[in-house]
Amino acid sequence: MEVYLGIDVGSVTTKLVALDGSNELVTYLYLLTQGKPIKMVQQGLKQIKQQLPKDADICGVATTGSARYLAGVIVGADLVKNEITSHAVAALQYIPEVQTIIEIGGQDSKIIIVREGIVIDFGMNTVCAAGTGSFLDHQALRLDMSIEEFAQRALGSRATVRIAGRCTVFAESDMIHKQQMGHRIEDILYGLCQALVRNYLNNVGLGKDIQPPVVFQGGVAFNQGIVKALQEELNTEIIVPSHHEVMGAIGAALLVHEEMVRNNNGSKFKGFGVSEVKYHTSSFECKTCPNLCEIAQLSLNGQVLARWGGRCDLWERSLSS
Amino acid sequence: MRLGIPHMGNLYIPFKALFQRLGIDYIIPPVNNQRTLSLGVRYSPEGLCIPFKLTLGNMIEAAELGADTLLMAGGTGICRLGYYANTQEQILHDLGYEVEVVQVGVSERKLFGLLEVIKRLSNNAPWPKIISAFRFGLAKLNALDKIERVVQRVRPVERIKGTANRLFAKAINAIDRADDYDTLKKVQIDYIDQLNQIDKDTQYKPLVVGITGEFYVVLEPFSNLDVESELGKLGVEVRRSTFVSEWAKFSWFLNPLGINEKDRIHKAALPYLKRDIGGDGWESVGEKVLHAKEYDGIIHLAPFTCMPEIVAQNIMPTTKEKIPVLTILCDEQIAKPGMLTRLEAFVDLLERRRRTYNNDRQ
Repeated sequence: MEVYLGIDVGSVTTKLVALDGSNELVTYLYLLTQGKPIKMVQQGLKQIKQQLPKDADICGVATTGSARYLAGVIVGADLVKNEITSHAVAALQYIPEVQTIIEIGGQDSKIIIVREGIVIDFGMNTVCAAGTGSFLDHQALRLDMSIEEFAQRALGSRATVRIAGRCTVFAESDMIHKQQMGHRIEDILYGLCQALVRNYLNNVGLGKDIQPPVVFQGGVAFNQGIVKALQEELNTEIIVPSHHEVMGAIGAALLVHEEMVRNNNGSKFKGFGVSEVKYHTSSFECKTCPNLCEIAQLSLNGQVLARWGGRCDLWERSLSS
Repeated sequence: MRLGIPHMGNLYIPFKALFQRLGIDYIIPPVNNQRTLSLGVRYSPEGLCIPFKLTLGNMIEAAELGADTLLMAGGTGICRLGYYANTQEQILHDLGYEVEVVQVGVSERKLFGLLEVIKRLSNNAPWPKIISAFRFGLAKLNALDKIERVVQRVRPVERIKGTANRLFAKAINAIDRADDYDTLKKVQIDYIDQLNQIDKDTQYKPLVVGITGEFYVVLEPFSNLDVESELGKLGVEVRRSTFVSEWAKFSWFLNPLGINEKDRIHKAALPYLKRDIGGDGWESVGEKVLHAKEYDGIIHLAPFTCMPEIVAQNIMPTTKEKIPVLTILCDEQIAKPGMLTRLEAFVDLLERRRRTYNNDRQ
């Protein structure tokens, strides 16, 4: 069976999906990155191998997400794609008429504007991570509840409580203040959802022409409180695809499928064996010029596989020669 | 007196030639680097823009090397830049450097401001000598910009990425070393020749992206995280009309033919922005309108907190000339991975758009 793997290594979660030759989802995985991207990619490969049918033939692998280059070297990716394009391609596969894609992940949030199947504009949070999954996680932890419970209880809100959502630090102190005043926790939680949505639309969504159908994907789309707040604020139906949390990985897999069909060179996939190898990462400061670039390198058995981080290509070049 | 100058791209090379020819004792601080930025950020008010912080860093590094007089752009009616030289001088005094910051007006379209300052700094050198030194500086400036235009064309199509950049670095050095017109001419021809001989993929039709925005961040690669080289690596051809030589031509000389590229850009912006709003905001809007047909996309570079460019940023997506615009805000907080993600996504967007609209275009 023809299989295309998409691996999305994000700041908080690592996602792996396998699509078959007709782009149907065969299986997928959703893991916490825990600050160990290499280990999670290896563990993910090991796990997904067990979930795949015995006759699975990996015909192409793509990586995406903030650790896409690192993951790409480890697995031997045929395609390394940014997460904006990946998300757009996946959304278009399931909802071809989509005009707006909202994606809120662990550390960043994006908006992608699509018209007639083509991305025409996008935005990504620049200055602040207020309104992303990490902050919601943190607040749930502080209130001693799971993130699932957070979402459920937010839906039980009856009165409006306005939380200052401009900045996570102020949002937190405002929430505490409202708690001390005796507001119901449900109302505060929903107030926070509304604040985050407002913040998202005023920052990432600023000046963007948001038109329905609106698709909401990424890990935060699990949170029904945010979905409801978005629905109210935009006054339109919010479509949450059934595999919203792995859409980036699906997009990468779709793109590598397209790429492999076009090039027909055979996959560079290093095999599931890479999950057993011990990789070593290190970094150093280059002192060749006053820029003092921080160079990061990935090595296997003392042999350097890849280097990143220089303003010039001095270290990358020394590798290829 | 020992004269120091802050950096902006390769502008130090023509200035160096000018100072040498006039026998001015000068010091060129190290090119922009991490230390320059750290120094500038530490001693600047936080809300000021990256050009202020980097030039302050340059001035501190020049003062450390013994400079007691510093040249800085200034003038009225531009933006906060009008206050920069005075503010920087004050900061340098507070840090204990007994330096004078001399302003060169860049807002007036006159050559005279700079020449008068040079006359003073050269201890009243005779005018013919000043003019001749200035001409030689301009010749170096022109050579640099001519070579850079070729580099911009080669980067996206070269087979071995980085070849053009390495040649460009060598060319900059050679131009710096050239001390007469003949050598300069030879260097220019030689390097343009070498650049043209680089092994290229002739079948490949690169996307064309225009770079516009605030003058300093467009011209100083350290402040825009080498956006042009990164686009080159992604196989994109960069075009920009902002070159110091162009600006010098139209700003310092009274153009004999009365042709002014800037007027053309301003006219294009008129339906959306009727007047100068300081900085280069008017030009940013105008360039988008003017080049919407020939470019696949526009990258708009703006310093964080730059008022004129924020105005331009909000006008640009609304013009009826539809062409994708990506604004990149440059400051000390900008992280390269985040910028690369946006650049890659932007290039994907342009690529898919071109694939779809290709038929309409032909």
